[in-house]
Amino acid sequence: MPHQVSVSPSPKQVRLEPARPVGQHRGTKNAWKRREAGAAYVFLAPWFLGLIAITVGPIVASLYLSFTDYSLLEEAQWVGLDNYARMFTEDDRFLQSLKVTTIYVVVSVPMQLAFALLLALLLDRGLRGLTIYRSVYYLPSLLGGSVAIAILWRKIFGTDGLVNSVLLWFGIEGPGWVTDPDTALGTLILLHVWTFGAPMVIFLAGLRQIPQSYYEAASVDGATKLTQFRHITLPLLTPIIFFNLVLEIIKSFQSFTQSFIVSNGTGGPVDSTLFYTLYLYMKGFKNFEMGYAAAMAWVLLLIIAGLTGVNFLMSKYWVFYGDTK
Amino acid sequence: MKRKFTVALLATAVMAAAAACGGGSESGTEAGGKTKIVFSYWGSDSRQKLTEQVIAKFEEKNPTIDVEGDFSDWGSYYEKLATKVAAGDAPDVMTIEIRGLAEYAGRGALADLTGKVNTADLDQQVLAAGQVDGKQYAIPSGVNTFAAMVNKATVEKQGQQLPDDKAWTWDQFIETSKAITEKSGGSVWGTDYNFNPAFLQVFAAQRGEKFYDNGKIGMSADTLKAWWGIHQKLIETKAAPDAAKMAEIGTNVEQALLATNTGAYGIWWSNQLGALSKGSGQELDLLRLPKLEGAPSGGMFLQPAMHWSMSAKSEHTAEAQKFVDFLLNDADAGGILLSDRGLPTNAKVLEAIKSKLTPTDQKTLDFIESVKSELSPTVVPPKGAMEMEDILKRNSEEVLFGKTTPDAAAAKFLQEANAALAG
Repeated sequence: MPHQVSVSPSPKQVRLEPARPVGQHRGTKNAWKRREAGAAYVFLAPWFLGLIAITVGPIVASLYLSFTDYSLLEEAQWVGLDNYARMFTEDDRFLQSLKVTTIYVVVSVPMQLAFALLLALLLDRGLRGLTIYRSVYYLPSLLGGSVAIAILWRKIFGTDGLVNSVLLWFGIEGPGWVTDPDTALGTLILLHVWTFGAPMVIFLAGLRQIPQSYYEAASVDGATKLTQFRHITLPLLTPIIFFNLVLEIIKSFQSFTQSFIVSNGTGGPVDSTLFYTLYLYMKGFKNFEMGYAAAMAWVLLLIIAGLTGVNFLMSKYWVFYGDTK
Repeated sequence: MKRKFTVALLATAVMAAAAACGGGSESGTEAGGKTKIVFSYWGSDSRQKLTEQVIAKFEEKNPTIDVEGDFSDWGSYYEKLATKVAAGDAPDVMTIEIRGLAEYAGRGALADLTGKVNTADLDQQVLAAGQVDGKQYAIPSGVNTFAAMVNKATVEKQGQQLPDDKAWTWDQFIETSKAITEKSGGSVWGTDYNFNPAFLQVFAAQRGEKFYDNGKIGMSADTLKAWWGIHQKLIETKAAPDAAKMAEIGTNVEQALLATNTGAYGIWWSNQLGALSKGSGQELDLLRLPKLEGAPSGGMFLQPAMHWSMSAKSEHTAEAQKFVDFLLNDADAGGILLSDRGLPTNAKVLEAIKSKLTPTDQKTLDFIESVKSELSPTVVPPKGAMEMEDILKRNSEEVLFGKTTPDAAAAKFLQEANAALAG
């Protein structure tokens, strides 16, 4: 199956192989290999311990807790599938958080990727000082998930913020963007689109992999820039687009900081920025319903896994791997 | 030979990992013959400094006890505390506030302090606010009251009369606020407003209803609608800013209309008078909240600013009790903390520190003294009440942003709130 995601489809891949000890006879090779494996396990041991204690253990525990009523302060009580059932039948806010998150992902991810691709195309035209531009445009990606930027966002889109000050020059009195339920989610989507740096860098790397000769041949045949983009760039870039898409969907389903800070931890106004993970956090730590929160975490895992699966299935129809055809 | 080496290496790795896990979480161990107790609290930098001073004073008087302050900001306080309690690593002395009391006491995390700490000099009515099911799980550190505030100079500048706060009604409050906004040409708002459950509690009492009654919501849908009616009227008449602007200010004292001199009236906790005055730079005063015409009671009440409580699982109860006792009854402790955790209710401590209080605090103290005889009793919100603020705010905003009708919101509030209390 050609479903392996690869950032650099270049044939010139470096193969990593353990260097063979010099002067060893064939007969002792196996024994040596065993010893080497033993040493490897020893060196891996701390990491294994960490994996079991900090990752696998809690994951298993959270699966167990998701079937319990657990207030953190008291012992967990087994309630079977109750948490899961409640989520879909009784909890309007759960459905609201699902709705908000879905809108956020569906709107912001394509916009962000389109923007990243556009900038990558511009930067790929052999600008002078490319590395500087690349770094500058990558910056928002590093900062975007941070608390500081979320606070800045609150200021920029506040009633007396930068955006409204600019609008005022044109005689428009803007609303309090982050505190109006109709526009609050929009500002968070914008914040996400603004963090286009990471996919942009990956797009840039992808663009570099497309052989220049294709374009030369196409222009000899009289193809316009637009035709070249549609028939050369886009098809050859599909694996990269696919990779970015999968990654960004997963990432944005897990967004937390932005809505936590911008809404002061409430998901407000009127639950318009109630991200899934924020609601999960509120259930667990504010309402003492850790069992319910654990169940929500598993539902989120299933949603993300399902979507990623669908993504891979769909990829058959639109992703083009040059080297397999 | 090789094998031995491997085993040794593995053993070292395991030990290193074990040591890394074990470190840092030891509380109550004895170092140098001292008993260590952990004291958790939240707050600002200035509170941390004061608290460190109080701890130093206590350690000076009790050289065998080592108190470790466990400080965090309000936003992450309960999250941290709940995790610690769940992990069996609860601080010996915990600060909690009134909404968290029933939550923690009801789940068996707190020790009964009845007869273990001297409470003889405390205001007995306020002390009752620390009781759950007849047991003294917590002791109030000090009190606040939810009140109206006014910038008298602004009111007069806009040609309005100062109200007689013993008699003023909500209608008069709206009327004068509206006039102030109009007169100032929009540069000053008449008042702000909020969705604090304390506000609703006062209003409900004026209609003869209780916020909580027997572990349920005791208010009718009509009370909620009437309360939102006041908010709606304030917005419609431009007596106060719209819901989006108020959501932006939120509970942020520094940005409050009174603090930025863009409002004449405000409704806040009495302990916020200091911060508001500081922001404003002008003189602010406390007033009784307006009443409904013919109200059986003004509905205002004293609320413990926060509580001292002890972990039910503390291994050093004697030392922890000593520390709580010190915080409550020692004039030196009172002299350092002053009104930081509400005005002390210990009559003796109060007497000793009165002259040290700031002018704003003295003003607050006088105000509380003057309204004391009219106050309604303090209530302990039942288990599940920690969610109340969120539920009320959300439903109130739905109404004021016009996303739903007051009828639907009132029904939804009652349903959600009762579900939270039923837990």
